[in-house]
Amino acid sequence: MNSSLNSPRDSLSETLHAWQVTPPADPNFRQEVWQRIGKQPGATWPAYVRAHMAAWSMAVALAMGVAAFTGSAVARSQTRADRSAIVATYLVDLDPRVQAVLKP
Amino acid sequence: MKYLLGTVAAIALLAVSTGFVGYRLSCDDALHAAVAKGDTMEWLRTDFHLTETQLAEVRKLHESYAGTCEEHCRLIQEATRARSALEAAHGDRVALDAANAKVQTLRAICEGSLTVHVRKVAALMSPEDGRRYLALVLPRIASFDHGAAPDLRLGHSN
Repeated sequence: MNSSLNSPRDSLSETLHAWQVTPPADPNFRQEVWQRIGKQPGATWPAYVRAHMAAWSMAVALAMGVAAFTGSAVARSQTRADRSAIVATYLVDLDPRVQAVLKP
Repeated sequence: MKYLLGTVAAIALLAVSTGFVGYRLSCDDALHAAVAKGDTMEWLRTDFHLTETQLAEVRKLHESYAGTCEEHCRLIQEATRARSALEAAHGDRVALDAANAKVQTLRAICEGSLTVHVRKVAALMSPEDGRRYLALVLPRIASFDHGAAPDLRLGHSN
């Protein structure tokens, strides 16, 4: 009696255990969820950035790299110009003839 | 659209800040200050890492050198004027050649004297700084024109 009562239940249990759901990947899943809860994706600034994280990350990296290089290049250029100017002053100081020409 | 513009503005601000940091890190403030003051001794001290003792020795060398070139250069100017006078008067070829040779000889003496002086200064520095110093000053000394004020721009040929 017991076995006849338990048998369908065991069968159901086994069926549930064996049951596997493999739904197809839905690329619109996230967007549809947002729509269902009444918000558009990117409704807030952080959400907008998160939604375009890859593109903005690349933009930040590129902008920072270019800015750092440019800032450094400007400083190096200024240093070269400064050095050239001071070398000229130095050599003028060394040569009294030049001083005589420049400071009549 | 407002988030796009806001993000672009934020990135631009970040880029400007990064650029400023890059500029400050690569800046040579000591050199810039020396240039602003026209203080060549300060430039030598900071750019070539001179100790106070080395700087005192360099200063002493410069003081002892002052005036050495003056006589050479006066002779060069006189010789140049004499050569110009010969050229203007269409003087004889032999005299003109001799005047040319004299100018060239005097120029070589003056430049040689200055070159020896800067090599002595370089010897007071560390080998690496000395090499860098000579690389900066020797090309300009080589481009001196003793007939006029020198053009000290690097790479300029008279």
